[in-house]
Amino acid sequence: MSTPVILVINIVILVVLGLVVKTVKSDPTAKGGFNFNYTTSDLVIMAVLGALAGVINTWMGNVWYAANTVSPIYGAALQGTFMWAYILAYFLVRKSGSMLIIGIIEASVEALLGNQAGLSTLGWGISQGIGAEVVMAFCMYTKFGWLALGLAGAGASQFGTVWSFILYGWTSLTDYLIAAPINLISGFIFSGLLGYFLGTMIAKTGLLRATRRGAE
Amino acid sequence: MSEHSLRYIDNDSFFTRIDALSKLIWVILVILTTFQLTSNLSRVVMLAVVVFVMIILARVPLKTIWQAMPIILIMGTLLFFVHLFTAPSTQIINVLGFSVGKEGFDKGLQYFLRITIMVLASFILIWTTDIRDLMVGLVSIGMPYRYAFTVFMALRFLPVVQQEVDAVKAAHAIRGRASSSPIRHRIRLWQRYMFTVIVNGLRKAENTALAIESRGFGAFPDRTFVKEFHWTKTGIILLILFIVFAIWLIFWEKNLPIL
Repeated sequence: MSTPVILVINIVILVVLGLVVKTVKSDPTAKGGFNFNYTTSDLVIMAVLGALAGVINTWMGNVWYAANTVSPIYGAALQGTFMWAYILAYFLVRKSGSMLIIGIIEASVEALLGNQAGLSTLGWGISQGIGAEVVMAFCMYTKFGWLALGLAGAGASQFGTVWSFILYGWTSLTDYLIAAPINLISGFIFSGLLGYFLGTMIAKTGLLRATRRGAE
Repeated sequence: MSEHSLRYIDNDSFFTRIDALSKLIWVILVILTTFQLTSNLSRVVMLAVVVFVMIILARVPLKTIWQAMPIILIMGTLLFFVHLFTAPSTQIINVLGFSVGKEGFDKGLQYFLRITIMVLASFILIWTTDIRDLMVGLVSIGMPYRYAFTVFMALRFLPVVQQEVDAVKAAHAIRGRASSSPIRHRIRLWQRYMFTVIVNGLRKAENTALAIESRGFGAFPDRTFVKEFHWTKTGIILLILFIVFAIWLIFWEKNLPIL
């Protein structure tokens, strides 16, 4: 099992997830397209969510590392618990690149809080962020429903295993392939759906400014 | 939480005085070189260099290193034992009176050393670098200052998050939360904590954004800093020496018998 093989497997999975996302109904209010014009409010929201997720994920990471060391199968069930903040940030900010940015922020916080992988934690932040971004790029960032966000969570969860593979040196392709659907389901539920439901609950509080969900 | 053992130590050591970017590049070079190494002996040499930097050049107090030791060693140790017991081996060797598979032992040691080197190098950066200096350095090489500010703000929010969690816990306790309850009830409590903390955090984020925007943040493409970034000669010398060492190590191990 080599890194190029793992990369090809994961790219195929991301493309399939992206094609499924394309079939989901678009949000009529969404502008879509690649918009990197972040307001200060967007950046501060991502900073706060990154800090929160960094604290929670550092704690969760201890459990995950122990499980994942043995085999990708054991860690797969928990793999999806790390990206809820990516999905929530995207739901609130609604701009391309937000999931990658929060991935880097959250991973930086984790590294500085004492994550056992040190600065290598950034590898997960980047790979998981890219996974979610690629899936949403297929629909040009026009979808914010539970299914689209669930699939973005699944993509993030699965693509994060590329970095896990590089760090852990798993040898069994069979184990990796068995773990893939577990990763996808875990990411769909614990990242995608959790992020979506947190977002809708926050929107109901009316907390957010008119530019975002709360005012709709 | 481990933040007590992982914080910037301003001890005016040789390594602390080096500019933040050179140290960041050094850590990246250590990680990249470690991935290139193919023998455990050369990884041990690399680990020795990193430990030398930590104790002699950075003068990190032994007590601090001791406190951080569980974080440093736990993942490497887990990887060592897993590879020791799962990697297929054709030869048996004796290690400290135990018979173990040679290939499993070598592979376990490989991952233990690799992870330990990477984590130690990262921790040296954290112990010897003020994050503010690192952010200023990143801005000076072209990172948009608004993004650097975001990372810095996330770190600034950490104690605020902790205070928020404590306040929410206290609020629940005042309202008669049971000190011991079934696991299901505890999970529901944590759900409530989490949602309250997120909502309060976002409320603070809105206020903070308004406050910094009203002070003109983001109005100009560039900004000034109280402390400007400057490359240091010692930093550049450190990088050159390390690159020479890394090239030597990679070529040196190629002439070694397989370890």
